Amino acid sequence: MHERTFRIIWIAITGFMIVFSPAENHAGCGEKTKFCIGLVTDVGVIDDKSFNQSSWEGVQQAKAELGAAIKYIETRDAKDYEQNIELFAENNYNVIVTVGFALGEATIRAAKKYQKIHFIGIDQFQGKPVKNLVGLVFREDIAGFKAGALAAMLSKTNIIAAVLATDMVPPVAAFNRGYEAGSRYINPDIKIISTFHPGGLDISFTDPEWGASTAGQAIDQGADVIFSAGGLTGNGGLIETATHKGKYCIGVDTDQWDTVPAARACLVSCAMKRISPSVIKLIKLAYKNQFPEGNYYGEVSLSSFHDFEGKIPQRIKNRLLEIDNNIQSGKIKIPDYE
Amino acid sequence: MITASKAKTDSKDRIFFFLSGILLLSIILYSYWISPLVTVAILTSSLRQSTPLALGALCGLICERSGVMNIGIEGQMLLAAFFGFLVNVWTGSLLLGVISGIAAGMLAGIIFALMTVSMKMDQIICGTIVNLLAAGLTGYFYPTGINATGKLKAYSFPFLSELPLVGPVLFRVSPIVFSTIILVFLVHFLLFFTQWGLRTRAVGEYPRAADTMGINANIVRFYNIIIGGFFAGLAGAFLSLEAVGVFERGMTNGRGFIALAVMIFGKWTPIGAWGAALLFGLALAVQTQLQFDQVLSIPHQFTGMLPYLITIIVLAIFIKRNRPPGSLGVPYEKK
Repeated sequence: MHERTFRIIWIAITGFMIVFSPAENHAGCGEKTKFCIGLVTDVGVIDDKSFNQSSWEGVQQAKAELGAAIKYIETRDAKDYEQNIELFAENNYNVIVTVGFALGEATIRAAKKYQKIHFIGIDQFQGKPVKNLVGLVFREDIAGFKAGALAAMLSKTNIIAAVLATDMVPPVAAFNRGYEAGSRYINPDIKIISTFHPGGLDISFTDPEWGASTAGQAIDQGADVIFSAGGLTGNGGLIETATHKGKYCIGVDTDQWDTVPAARACLVSCAMKRISPSVIKLIKLAYKNQFPEGNYYGEVSLSSFHDFEGKIPQRIKNRLLEIDNNIQSGKIKIPDYE
Repeated sequence: MITASKAKTDSKDRIFFFLSGILLLSIILYSYWISPLVTVAILTSSLRQSTPLALGALCGLICERSGVMNIGIEGQMLLAAFFGFLVNVWTGSLLLGVISGIAAGMLAGIIFALMTVSMKMDQIICGTIVNLLAAGLTGYFYPTGINATGKLKAYSFPFLSELPLVGPVLFRVSPIVFSTIILVFLVHFLLFFTQWGLRTRAVGEYPRAADTMGINANIVRFYNIIIGGFFAGLAGAFLSLEAVGVFERGMTNGRGFIALAVMIFGKWTPIGAWGAALLFGLALAVQTQLQFDQVLSIPHQFTGMLPYLITIIVLAIFIKRNRPPGSLGVPYEKK
């Protein structure tokens, strides 16, 4: 008797939950009047204070300017990339943005399957162009070069460090290549101690404790400028550096002055990839049916120096400008991306 | 006969440990002689990275010595890191943050104890529940846009921190790292030289015998789980308030499980577990240093295996004489 009542209540609760579970709201996508944009994050969170977040900001801007309907899915597990993309594709979204190198293959497969939908793959270099897919890529080596040059000019000990997520991700490896080349360009004898997270794609961007202790280990042996690149792992390195007096840190991807306030004590600059403006630009091209194919190169630059504006000598600023010009004119050759 | 052979293996073990200790010490002194700065950096980093593992292992062994298998340490640490950080942000006080982190760890311990001891549920399932609960709660209530107010900084002891080698490593340290060293020895003393320790071990080995002697096995287990929560809570507070300075989702990254391995490796003794945690931390630090120096052109994925490889090898050597507490994982029912 007791067990039976219990069972009935159980079934009733389950039934209630099924009936009243909120239906996914994709209504109207695929109709001519409506423009829908879906975004699938890499493993991690939408507000990662880094590349997921700035991609989403680009999409949000599209909502404001084009009146588009927007939605995102946070990927919890690398196995779900394909499913998450399908969820938008099956609901006839117009544009699907996938964020991160790791989603590359899943995005290509989806683009071939759903040829009417425009796909934007951030950090996904396209070897063989697919008609309805554009890879939004950046010259991280150029951004890294400038960061390295700045680091070498700031360093007093002539030891600089880089704390990075895995080099299985080409953009991270490119940042490092540029950083090493840039610092050697300023000072050929500088000692660069750089580390990649030993873990795989699943953990190397989400391990702030590793980033912090690695930065600490580098500082303890004399490094005085730390370039910290790689999602939450990198943020851990930035915050650690901020607790050591007189050390500098350089952030990555977005202007981390805004996103990681705890690092302001050391944050001189950030090697930025202008993701949001490029995302909105590509979405607009899709809106006007002028979608490109292959690769689209977004802009990279160093962020402003914020609180360090007055502390950095004019000599260094001039040198950075000169380097900027020389890169654009081709006088400085950086090992090519890919 | 049995005692004679046991004594023999014990003394063999001692000699082995003694020799490997001397070997390790001479390697450290030699490297300090060559490059003091790097040696200090590596040792500081190992101590730091061993801290959450040692604390997690203390939590594990206090539970397991009384017969409760706690695989929910990961979850307890995560909850503690979360609440510790939240309270730190709300009140602006790091001390209050650490205290509430510890409280959160103990609270999670109470939930775990209610399930395993009072309701006698399967301990593995309960531990999994705590882990899932922690991941879910901290993920759902993860606050966005709040700013950290800094983290616990290293404190230099006067005079002592000026000593060569040991000074900067042992006496220029952050509070939780330093307290861990003291706690390890404290727990060791409590476990092997006090009434509480004797009762705990008795309940863990043979609860019926303890019961006939008038010790309430379930009450001992209940309290021990909560005491264990203290250490898991401190480990969580270390992660969010001392090591990183902010809370991030899933920031424990499996350290609660590695702590369990460390505990087994240390043969369910605090000092043994601490040694194992230090070895693991040293392997992590050396692994980073190999990349820093680029002396070896080995792929870093390979050197990244080092800590785990060492653990497996050492476990394989010692596991044969490693014996868990007798009633581990079995709920005690009075007949």
